Amino acid sequence: MDELLQEFISETQETLEALAGEVVAWEADPSDRDRLDAIFRFFHTVKGSCGFLNLPRFERLSHAAEDVLSEIRAGKRGADPATVSAVLGIMDRIGELTEAVAIGAALPSENDDFLIGALSAQAAEAAEPAVQAVVAPVVVARQGGAQSGPRTIRLPLSLIDQLMNGVSDMVLARNELSRKLRERSADPELDNVFERLSTCVADMRDVISKTRMQRVERLFAAIPRMVRDLGRDLGKRIDLTLEGGDVEMDREMVEMVVDPLTHIVRNSIDHGIETPEKRRAAGKPEAGRLRLEARQSGNQIVIAIADDGAGIDTARLVDKAIAAGRLSPEAAMRLSEEDRLDLIFQAGLSTANQVTAISGRGVGMDVVRANVERIGGVIALDNHPGQGLCITLRVPLTLTIIPGLIVRAGGQHFAIPRSAVVEILHDNNETLHLSEVGGAKIATIRAIRHSMVDLEDVLGMEKPVQQGPRAIMVVRSATGVPFAMGVSAVDNHEELVIRPASPLVMATGVYAGMTLPDNGKPMLLLDAAGLANAARLPNIIDDRAARQQDQEADAKAGVEMVAALRFEELSGERRLLKLSLIERVEDIDAGLFGRSGGRAFVRLDKRLVPVANGLSQFDRARVSALRLRDDRREACYPVAAVFDIVQMPAVPDMVAMHGMLSGVAVVDGEHLEVINPFALFAGLPEEALVERARGRCVLADSGDGWTREILAPLLRQAGHEVVLGLPGNCAVDPDDVVLCTEADAAQAAEIMGCRVVHLRASPRPTGPQDGSIYRYDQDALMAAIAGRRA
Amino acid sequence: MDQLYLLATLADTRIAVETGEVEAVVRLTDISPVPGMGAHVAGLSALRSRVLTIIDVAALIHGRATPAERRGLAIIANISGHSYGLMVDGVSDICRVPEGELPLRGQLDPAWAPYARALVEHDGHPWLLVSLAAFIEGGALAQAA
Repeated sequence: MDELLQEFISETQETLEALAGEVVAWEADPSDRDRLDAIFRFFHTVKGSCGFLNLPRFERLSHAAEDVLSEIRAGKRGADPATVSAVLGIMDRIGELTEAVAIGAALPSENDDFLIGALSAQAAEAAEPAVQAVVAPVVVARQGGAQSGPRTIRLPLSLIDQLMNGVSDMVLARNELSRKLRERSADPELDNVFERLSTCVADMRDVISKTRMQRVERLFAAIPRMVRDLGRDLGKRIDLTLEGGDVEMDREMVEMVVDPLTHIVRNSIDHGIETPEKRRAAGKPEAGRLRLEARQSGNQIVIAIADDGAGIDTARLVDKAIAAGRLSPEAAMRLSEEDRLDLIFQAGLSTANQVTAISGRGVGMDVVRANVERIGGVIALDNHPGQGLCITLRVPLTLTIIPGLIVRAGGQHFAIPRSAVVEILHDNNETLHLSEVGGAKIATIRAIRHSMVDLEDVLGMEKPVQQGPRAIMVVRSATGVPFAMGVSAVDNHEELVIRPASPLVMATGVYAGMTLPDNGKPMLLLDAAGLANAARLPNIIDDRAARQQDQEADAKAGVEMVAALRFEELSGERRLLKLSLIERVEDIDAGLFGRSGGRAFVRLDKRLVPVANGLSQFDRARVSALRLRDDRREACYPVAAVFDIVQMPAVPDMVAMHGMLSGVAVVDGEHLEVINPFALFAGLPEEALVERARGRCVLADSGDGWTREILAPLLRQAGHEVVLGLPGNCAVDPDDVVLCTEADAAQAAEIMGCRVVHLRASPRPTGPQDGSIYRYDQDALMAAIAGRRA
Repeated sequence: MDQLYLLATLADTRIAVETGEVEAVVRLTDISPVPGMGAHVAGLSALRSRVLTIIDVAALIHGRATPAERRGLAIIANISGHSYGLMVDGVSDICRVPEGELPLRGQLDPAWAPYARALVEHDGHPWLLVSLAAFIEGGALAQAA
């Protein structure tokens, strides 16, 4: 019985969620028979199951709703807004009851008669036009929203977690096996099998991680209903468009994004979109447009919420900030438009004139931003006063993988979320000044004073004597003031799989979790806010005006900006590369890429060009590639996609030299890794792969197996163009070199005025006049070809 | 009495643990310390893809950390969803005890009092029956707070 009840509850809740949008869509188009049927089916199912489970209140409610709906189906009654509201009311009550049954609480004892009465009362009034009918229903356009989903089954989450752990174990075992294999002598057969195993394990891991994914549709499910209700309450007309519901993201992430998204949509309807009268006066269509769009971009999900309402009145924001005493009028004068817009994220500032029931209760955009940033996301505003506002949320695909920096302190490694680090400097940097007063350390960076702590001191570790400079990181937590933190060094940045630490470790308050890197040594993830608390740093914001001035002075000193290309790596990261190095961008056939001697190259215009990032295998037929050039060498850099040209600071905002990267720059609020051109060209093979070959190599004995299978590939690899067999018309280009193995053919070719390289099968020449070359003497052969050409 | 007990020595004391609480006994290899914690948390150690929080039980009992060279075996246990390794000096046996649990006798050292539950008799010696969960929840967390 319990199991049946459980099943009933979860099924009802799920259907309710999915159905809220359907009801609204049905209201917009009452002739939509499919939707009406779906809703009718829901009530019918509920009625059936609860008769069986003995839940009389459910039964009464669903029975009443079913009656009304069947009247509508029979055409005896229209689906006017009031009826729809009453049906929605019943659905809400069923939802509440389900909740109560699920947690085993007493059923709320409000009178259901009122709701049922509302349903039937409408039947009488249906004839006279309701006042609310003036407010047009919300039109929902779902794009590509299929009515019936794929077949699914229900699984306990713990089973999936277990599966995930199993796969992680498998990956680690694979790594260990790979290490062991490398130590032993190479056995190609074993390597092949191992390679296959690796592919299987990697595929498996991908698939398993997909089980944690959920369609964004679930995030959108509640939106149409909310928009409809709000629109009705406020007397506004809204055209809602939902797009990208089939994008998938981690289910935990979906939970985390619901609140910020709801808040933004509420704001947009309450403050953004104007009333129909105002919109008419402004020359806009009466119905405001609200568009929610989700898409995946690399390892991020981008959710854009755009409306064509009034936008944010920055002047009013500034006035409010001044009135609230957060900003001096002089400081306000100095603010850029961007800074003014940024004020919306200040706690307690809202452009709403009065507090309404919908939003503007003081819980504002500051909370939204804090929530988004807590999960490693970024929020960006694109404001067009009078035209509309577009808010973009960028959140990582999963909660458990975050980009992090690996730092060293006290001889140990720690990870810190990259989003928490604003800047990294070496303590011998001239823009940095360290001072100490009364035990307090202060780091002054470009005239801004930060509290300074050493990580070793906070954690109570010994500070080892160190050669070379220490790294000073400016750390910012979602709440609180940025502070400077000294560590021995910043070693690396990588994507970290974060897992929760045991409560014992979390109790210290300075750790946010732990991660297990490839070397098998667990590493702790630092919590920026916790560190500030543990160090008992003062939490007082610098005088904003003073900071503003400093920033202005800074701006005068000039942050040099250079043009850079923003692109996406084949591995999914988004990076920047200085534009001046890029000759052009072109699409290249994947088949032209190859690998030789551990180096990747690509064949372009009859010559071999080294591939800068060492890739030679692609999952697509054509690859976008950047063609790069320094003063004498060129390289090819295959990428997944090229986005646009942006301005980036000449020196990355955060310098962290590592491999091919020189650091991280922030462009439009997005953290992008910057490619270090020096390392890129330094990593190329010194000698050009092949001198530019002129002419062709004509292989006279094309029927011969050795020529075809051994000689021809060798020559091709060396960069020569190979022609098998003498051209039919015998007109051999004077630049061509003819290779043959038979003496008479060699003589014949020589007579015709061709350059000939004569090959022989025996290691020793037959006589002093023999000008032929032993066919396995590669050096002599290459020299002969080059010599004949000279 | 069908209950199996793991017999071990810990801080020069004979202890017994119900095998239901024990997941495995492993030899400790690398321990990454957790700075900012008391001596009773020896650090973190990886067991395949799991990360164990290693508890220095001897430090919990008499407040002195076990020196690194004397770290040998750890009992692995899953306590409220997290994996822990509890360091012990040695493990001698897993066996049934005919008489079952006996009530505590004598004056127990107060340091042991929060963790000891009963006695079991084996090989003519009394062994202190302790609960692993008590070490974590009663002892370690209380000290951390």
